Amino acid sequence: MTRAAYIGIDAGSSATKCVVIDPAARLLAHAVMPSGFDYGEAAERALAIALDRAGLTPDAIAHCVSTGYGRDRVVAADRHVTEVTCHARGAREWYPQVRSIIDIGGQDTKVIWLNAHGRLADYRMNAKCAAGTGTFLESIALKLGVTLRKIDELALTSTARTVMNSYCTVFTGTEVIERIKAGEPRQDISMGLFRSIAARVFEMLASRDGPVAATGGVVAHCRALVRALEEVLETKVLLPPLPQHAGAYGAALLAREASLTATAPRQHAAGEPLRTELE
Amino acid sequence: MTRKRIGPPHDWGGSDPGRLRHCRKGFRMSGQAKQETPARGRPTRVEIAAQHRLRELLREYFLDLDAAAKDPRRRVAWCTSVGPCEILVAMGFATAFPENHGALLGVRRLSHRFIPYAVSAGYCAESCSYMNADIGAALAGQSPLRDSYGIDGPPRPDLLVYSTNQCREVQDWFSFFGRRHGVPVLGVRPPRQLGAVTAAHVAFVRGELLRLIEQIEAHFGLKLDMGRLEETVALSSRASALWREVLETARARPAPFSFWDGVIHMAPVILLRGSPAAVAYYELLLAEMRQRVREGVGAVPGERFRIYWEGMPVWPRIRELSEKFFELRAAVVASTYCNSWAFEPYAGGDPLEWMARTSIEIFINRDEPTKEAFLVELFERFGVDGVIFHNARTCPNNSNSRFGMPARLREQRGLPVLVIDGDLSDQRFFSTAQTLTNVEAFCEQLEQIQAGPQPRLPANPRAATAANVAGGPA
Repeated sequence: MTRAAYIGIDAGSSATKCVVIDPAARLLAHAVMPSGFDYGEAAERALAIALDRAGLTPDAIAHCVSTGYGRDRVVAADRHVTEVTCHARGAREWYPQVRSIIDIGGQDTKVIWLNAHGRLADYRMNAKCAAGTGTFLESIALKLGVTLRKIDELALTSTARTVMNSYCTVFTGTEVIERIKAGEPRQDISMGLFRSIAARVFEMLASRDGPVAATGGVVAHCRALVRALEEVLETKVLLPPLPQHAGAYGAALLAREASLTATAPRQHAAGEPLRTELE
Repeated sequence: MTRKRIGPPHDWGGSDPGRLRHCRKGFRMSGQAKQETPARGRPTRVEIAAQHRLRELLREYFLDLDAAAKDPRRRVAWCTSVGPCEILVAMGFATAFPENHGALLGVRRLSHRFIPYAVSAGYCAESCSYMNADIGAALAGQSPLRDSYGIDGPPRPDLLVYSTNQCREVQDWFSFFGRRHGVPVLGVRPPRQLGAVTAAHVAFVRGELLRLIEQIEAHFGLKLDMGRLEETVALSSRASALWREVLETARARPAPFSFWDGVIHMAPVILLRGSPAAVAYYELLLAEMRQRVREGVGAVPGERFRIYWEGMPVWPRIRELSEKFFELRAAVVASTYCNSWAFEPYAGGDPLEWMARTSIEIFINRDEPTKEAFLVELFERFGVDGVIFHNARTCPNNSNSRFGMPARLREQRGLPVLVIDGDLSDQRFFSTAQTLTNVEAFCEQLEQIQAGPQPRLPANPRAATAANVAGGPA
């Protein structure tokens, strides 16, 4: 079989995503599953499902790049690249004009800037704290005994300007309980949670030149967060067709580019360093 | 192949279960070829031969401190790391530096076990983790010095001398031990956050030093021999000058010496300041580094990036960080921290004036514009590609990312800058996985800068749009 599939695997802290593209950079298939306890196993399963959906076998893999928190656990990967570069690459493929990318994942929030040529110009990651990440929302949802989807649905019906007084997951949890006791509408409290994340992003976003895109699992499932981001940034936020898969898509594109520029795909010189060619 | 463990004169403490787990499963380390075993083909670190002498020197130093504390004819003084130790040495005190113990507690990943003892005694958990760990270890009656050198712990002091030229925390830290041991706590409180250092500033601090000498003389019935102080200051200055020259060798490409080496090899310029042993050690180390430069031996083989480290080391995670930088072939060629003991040379004359001047000229005692100018000069001199600021959560005095400096450097100098959150000693403030990803992404950023501007990619008409997405749920 011709090795004609380029694979990107994003072994994220919450979910593992896999994207398969062909030599023309067409997206053939994608898959997502919980990362669970074993990033390596989740990656293998996501890869198997994505290949199956694409009607391919592992023999078809020309090159594979892994990214995400568990990137070094992905046995199938030829190399690994950080989420910063992969999300930038994925978002740029969807929106070549994009200059700022906000990636809100389970554990990290990142803001990434590209220069006019589409190269990684700068980025920020959140500090060691769950504030402003998917974990923040999951934790509050758990406390309230509702799903994330329900919080999103409620928030989208809010018309109030409710803002939380804390970024901290623990303190916000307490504040939510206080607001419920005070009789505040649930939809307004829910929207306040998304504004809390958006405010954290605002702090990280030193420059707001050019179009802004949002990626990651949280924006994929919570349109209220996109609304909160647009409110605070006072600009339209582009949402790609597969926001949660942007990192895996970027990784697949990097796999394709690395493979096409290499003389011998899937062969590396001993001790070769991490390489992240974008072009 | 087992990678040769290099470096620290003392155990850096703790195994690295994450690393072992990778190796057992046969997973590749970052950047390695799939076909390779984990260590095959990796460049290996070239050992610094002088470290063997360093190890001996430190053993001799700690055993002597212990002996001094047990000898009724000798006296022990504790001093802050950039405090007036030359006066103490010249007056015959065996001199200990509690900050060294704080760092050691961090390196051994013991701080988080002892800090709660200090917190329960009323010290804020967000105050200096060196202080809290050291106080906590004393309250718990434990010390890593027991395992390393077979001694009970830091020597019991007869006197504690601080200078607030670095921070006010040292005063409170020493006060705890002054109360605990019932011994005098004396201090020098220089003017802080200076721009230009004036003659008036120097004269004031010189006066503080004279007052300190009088207090020590009166309490212990001693008399400072000014000739002896001159000799001590000359030795201190000589060791400092040699240390500076060692640091300067890292201007070479590849840099023969990195920050990770520096934080180990700077021990004598702190602990043995004013002694011939420190001078002899840095002569040895400098000769080795100069030979490395001549032979083109780098601390990081195949050096790709040259990084500046601003702020304190993250002592509990120094091994993981140094290995990550090594793996990324990023050499940390210069740092504020290692330069903290590179004083201006003593050219004879009044030793107290030299002590006064050097104690307030140090980086940590300067205002923001002076610090920024100092850093920019180092960035240019060492040809750095990027700067990493360590925001140490419990050390505001040694964290310079808090008043906009990283943003100014990015905007005005076009320098890539990364700020990482962590701490000098309390590992609870540090996320290893998050920080290593951050460092890796920073090197990817530097790599793209080195690759130069590229034409914008044309829009891919076949990019995954909502219309052509297939194959699974979003």
